[in-house]
Amino acid sequence: MNVGLLGCGTMGRLHATMAEQCGLKIAQCSDAVAQVGKSLAKDFNARFVKNWEDVVKSKDVDIVAIATPTPLHFPMLDLAIKSGKHIFCEKPLCRTVKECKTIIQKAEKNKTKLFVGHVVRYFHEFESLHEQIKSGKIGEVGFIKMYRGGMPPRGAKNWFSDFSLSGGVTFDCMIHDIDWLRYVFGEVKTVYCQNLIQKDCAPLDYSQVTVRMKNGLLALLIGSWAHPSGFYVKVEVCGSDGLIYYDNKETSLELQQRNQNQTVGTIVPESPVAKSPYQKEWEDFINWIQNNKEPKVSIVDALKAVEIVDACLKSAKTKQPVNL
Amino acid sequence: MVKIGIMSFAHLHAYSYAQCLNELPEVEFTAIWDDSPDRGKEASKKFNSKYVADIDKFLSLPLEGVIIPSENAKHKYLAEKAAVAGKWILCEKPLATTIEDATSIIQACKKAGVGLGIAFPCRFIPSIVKAKEYIQSGKLGTLLSISCTNNGTYPGGWFAEKELSGGGAVMDHTVHVVDLLRWMLGKEFNDVYCELGNQVHKGKFDVDDMGCLQMEMDGGIQISHIASWSRPKSFPTWGDVTMEFIGTEGVLYLDAFNQKLNVYSDFAMKTEWSFWGDNSDLIMIQDFVKSIQEKRDPLATGLDGLRAVEVTIFAYESAKIGKKVKIKKSRI
Repeated sequence: MNVGLLGCGTMGRLHATMAEQCGLKIAQCSDAVAQVGKSLAKDFNARFVKNWEDVVKSKDVDIVAIATPTPLHFPMLDLAIKSGKHIFCEKPLCRTVKECKTIIQKAEKNKTKLFVGHVVRYFHEFESLHEQIKSGKIGEVGFIKMYRGGMPPRGAKNWFSDFSLSGGVTFDCMIHDIDWLRYVFGEVKTVYCQNLIQKDCAPLDYSQVTVRMKNGLLALLIGSWAHPSGFYVKVEVCGSDGLIYYDNKETSLELQQRNQNQTVGTIVPESPVAKSPYQKEWEDFINWIQNNKEPKVSIVDALKAVEIVDACLKSAKTKQPVNL
Repeated sequence: MVKIGIMSFAHLHAYSYAQCLNELPEVEFTAIWDDSPDRGKEASKKFNSKYVADIDKFLSLPLEGVIIPSENAKHKYLAEKAAVAGKWILCEKPLATTIEDATSIIQACKKAGVGLGIAFPCRFIPSIVKAKEYIQSGKLGTLLSISCTNNGTYPGGWFAEKELSGGGAVMDHTVHVVDLLRWMLGKEFNDVYCELGNQVHKGKFDVDDMGCLQMEMDGGIQISHIASWSRPKSFPTWGDVTMEFIGTEGVLYLDAFNQKLNVYSDFAMKTEWSFWGDNSDLIMIQDFVKSIQEKRDPLATGLDGLRAVEVTIFAYESAKIGKKVKIKKSRI
């Protein structure tokens, strides 16, 4: 099967690599910045196409992969559905709940296989955490704290810094943890959110969200685009008979390199795994296309995640809790 | 020699304060009063201090100061009695379980002309003092947001009895962090949204063991705080005080008790963190002794205690009505 890739930035390149590792071919790619698109085309032996519409409509493309800024998802999804393609779309599904619902209707009508990259479900540490919780190792879970973030991301034309485009760290980054919470613990009842980006602090954002789940579970989620460096993931799960803590600062590998020109070298920590979670999500998606096996993430999951983060932004604006 | 007594060993912190009193050469740990004679006598033996069963007799001793680590709801009765007797007072936190009680204690001390301090030992932790310096010297630029925790293990006993404690984990573990932030930033809290519940000890007791507070301080600084008794029995230590400060120029992470050894002992059959940092209780008690000598309030005053109680009370109010609420500040 051939992939047509829309958006050739950091995530586009990552997904191209994963698709290729799954035996797919990157046939065509498009990017608003021609240089970025051409560079990827060269590396993956693909054809750079100036207009993304032409990629989506091309007979040479079976799967459309979308890794563009969020507001572009809607028109791209819309055309890809119309063109009868399978779709891999980065999270968040769309920038608004209304757009998500429209896309779902169209996708269901056309029987489109639309997969949304809520990749945290595929991360080894989160799968292991899920298993520990399910096995009852710490009894009944009553509270969970999830932390994710680091430096403000840099995207084309600084689109992440524009609240109307990205929705800030809550909409773009914390959505991972929101989705995982739903995946493991069910539906959300109430959210309360404070953030910086809606107080004109861009490019900085820092979001603190209290979540009450329908099953009574309480959660605090923190998302940061406010650090001068690094990327941090921390999870604490409190149960009736124990506690589980994860911190991504504890890694299995750390490379330190001497720097001849400067006094301080570089330190790169990492935790390599045999199969990347991004490859696992691609395999899940391909298995759906080829064998009709439902993937871990459904299109309704993607909608629900957007509904919840959208409620968070409403709460931050009104400074009151919002019920789902 | 400054003569000091302890009124009640109901709160576990009393044992640490007693130890501190005995360590200070300028102090005579003169006497103990406790409404539980067994507990009082035992402490008397342990710390080599006289047990006096009658509260009026105790207060008629030539004590210059008293420490009150009783059940929260008894602070008012004991502190007001001590004030009338002219004693300098260091009261365990929270100052009281209601705003009315807290203001009443402050007024009684004012009237009697005695100093009133609140046991907020965290103000004396060197990393917190250093963090305050960093913030005040502008290293973080303008402060925008702070995330805090004060987690602990379930303390048991009267802490779960609302009439004595005034509430659960939110009552117990909100005031330290609220006091620290007021002190470090020189700003007040304006509103609070709180979700709380009996989240991890269901069926064992009724009061809350977990609270998630979202607050705003002067200048619109947004703050989240976890007040909990969520640490399990197998946890390597009692709990924590952590704060992450987000500023326009930088980020500061503080883990106040992360000065520890990891101890793996087959005798304990669990990992233990052995704390090697300074004993902030001792530095706090030294400040209390000095406050007596210098006829001033201890570092954390009655007003500081009241402000922390107010945030806590309005957090419970918010949880009750399910809305963010304004924190009304009482005049003293």
